[in-house]
Amino acid sequence: MIEHYLTAFSTIFLPQNLLAICLGGLWGLMAGALPGISTSMGVVLLLPFTYAMSPITAFTILVSAYCGGITGGSITSILFGIPGEPSSVPTVIEGHSLAKQGRAAYALWVFLLCSIGGGLFSVFVMMGATPLIANFALRFGPPEYFALTILGLSVVSGLSGGSILKGVISALFGLFLAMVGTDGITGVERFTFGTSLLLGGVSFVTAMVGLLAVSEIWIEAEEPFKEYKEASGYKGMRKEFPKLSDFRKNLTNLIRSPIIGTIVGALPGAGATIAAFLAYGEAARTSKNPEKFGKGAVDGLMAAESANNASTGGSMTILLSLGIPGSNTTAMLIAAFMIHGLQPGPLLLSQKPEIIYGIFVAMLMANLFLLGLTIIGIRLFLQLTRLPYSVFSAAILILCVIGAFGLNNNVDDLYVMFAFGLIGYFMRKQGFPIAPAVLGLVLGDLAELSLRRSLLLSLGNPLILISRPISLILLCGAVFSIIYPLIKKPKALKGV
Amino acid sequence: MKRTHLIANGVVFVFFLFMLIHAFGLHEIRRFGEVGSGFWPLVVLSSATILSFILLIREWRSKGGEKEERSEGNEGDSGGNRIKVFGSILCLLFYVIGMPFVGFILSTFIFILFFIFVLGERRKWILALSPPLVTGLIVLVFGKLILMPLPKGVGIFADFSRLFY
Repeated sequence: MIEHYLTAFSTIFLPQNLLAICLGGLWGLMAGALPGISTSMGVVLLLPFTYAMSPITAFTILVSAYCGGITGGSITSILFGIPGEPSSVPTVIEGHSLAKQGRAAYALWVFLLCSIGGGLFSVFVMMGATPLIANFALRFGPPEYFALTILGLSVVSGLSGGSILKGVISALFGLFLAMVGTDGITGVERFTFGTSLLLGGVSFVTAMVGLLAVSEIWIEAEEPFKEYKEASGYKGMRKEFPKLSDFRKNLTNLIRSPIIGTIVGALPGAGATIAAFLAYGEAARTSKNPEKFGKGAVDGLMAAESANNASTGGSMTILLSLGIPGSNTTAMLIAAFMIHGLQPGPLLLSQKPEIIYGIFVAMLMANLFLLGLTIIGIRLFLQLTRLPYSVFSAAILILCVIGAFGLNNNVDDLYVMFAFGLIGYFMRKQGFPIAPAVLGLVLGDLAELSLRRSLLLSLGNPLILISRPISLILLCGAVFSIIYPLIKKPKALKGV
Repeated sequence: MKRTHLIANGVVFVFFLFMLIHAFGLHEIRRFGEVGSGFWPLVVLSSATILSFILLIREWRSKGGEKEERSEGNEGDSGGNRIKVFGSILCLLFYVIGMPFVGFILSTFIFILFFIFVLGERRKWILALSPPLVTGLIVLVFGKLILMPLPKGVGIFADFSRLFY
């Protein structure tokens, strides 16, 4: 094994591969940060350029773009409150709240260090424990997936700022939105009311942009005319560097979150979103200051970012060891393997070890390079927050429009985004948390299909959900995460 | 303010109830041995209807929170900013509706001008400079560099857009 790593290091340190890491990482950062281009789209756009490259250079540039995309998405989440991916929602909630308090540079440092830390952790785990994680992920059947989605939803609903009832209703609303469109099993139209616009379902990126970013601008518009708070509070990147004690206080959180990210990231279809929300929920549950969650909790930001980036390693583990994509982006990477005449899976490790170990080392180096690249990127983006507030918010709305339009180049998506902006505004005004609705929308399909498949397997017997140990543990966790806040904060819940 | 919350929670309850009634029609659509298309909607929507009904009843019964909510409401109103919210909503609505006809460049230019004015911006140099600068920058990045097919509009507006991307 050591000789494989030595060979991989010597290959990755070749000038063309180092250049590939820089270019891929930079492109990924841009793709992640710009609305309208997701990480997976960023990887797809790079694919044609890799045809003529050697396989190892091709995978170096692609995995660098993947890591860069995951990191870059959080920059716009923190500064502008626009989530590029569903997994960035906790980052929007806590990071953007910190930015609005004039602590954008601090939030960006925390995100950067935790994100890179989580990424490096998962790469090391990927290097050492690929077969182990792959075997664990294989034990997940439909009942386990259903239980996992319920756990994710209940954790987030339990964080609803004192009103669990509203949190659960919000999550159920998200699940309802996920049902709209064509049923994945029978092909029946549901809740489309005869319109072709809804046949394909509700796009979660469009809905997310409307619910979180557009509604936020309207809520901000209620306040008297102002300059952007960040402009006066911005103290520069050096002065805002977090203290070591900030991390020391969150040591458990910083160890737990990447572990959650790596394990959940390895589950196909679950990936970064559940990982980020679960780690965020755990951070809230164990926090000494749970009341700060939703208002700029640093521990929440740390948890979400560590888990989010750690999921890349988990996702790659399952791809390389079993040939199963754990996320949209790794599904795109399968295409890259095909293009270069390779088949990801158990045989690849024995037949082409130089590729696998090369990818491990490339991901490690990409995460290290991203530290420097992101600092440059953040400096550029921070300048935007010095714009007059009115212009800044107009620019954010235009970026939202481009983000929604860019998905399918379809104007209809703009109407959907506008409608969700109104729904988000209504929800915020009435105290319904947005995060459970977004998570419900993202996980709705997985939850329903897993439940229906479970019932098919058991010939309609619902006991299958509690007769398998992993599923039972996850469901107990779900019940606990709802009951725990009720026991812990009875006063806060009296008014619910 | 309590009345507003009551109406809002009532709307939520009616919404879920309406969808639940609609979901009953889906229940029987299934193949042999399968759980039907309506099973999951029924589970979710019946839970949502029951919970929103509980929320409505709690809101109806709660009297203690009335004062607090009223003061919160006054704080929001004192800014006199409902017009700004309504104006910014209308700006986005007209922008979204107008874009396919007028094209991205012109609609964005007009949107920025009206939007920043509605938000209370009165400095002439900002009103004059920001629409062309922001529009230009966005068209440069998304239209020229990334080659995103931004809407061009129809007729003369399409000809105008083609001058730029």
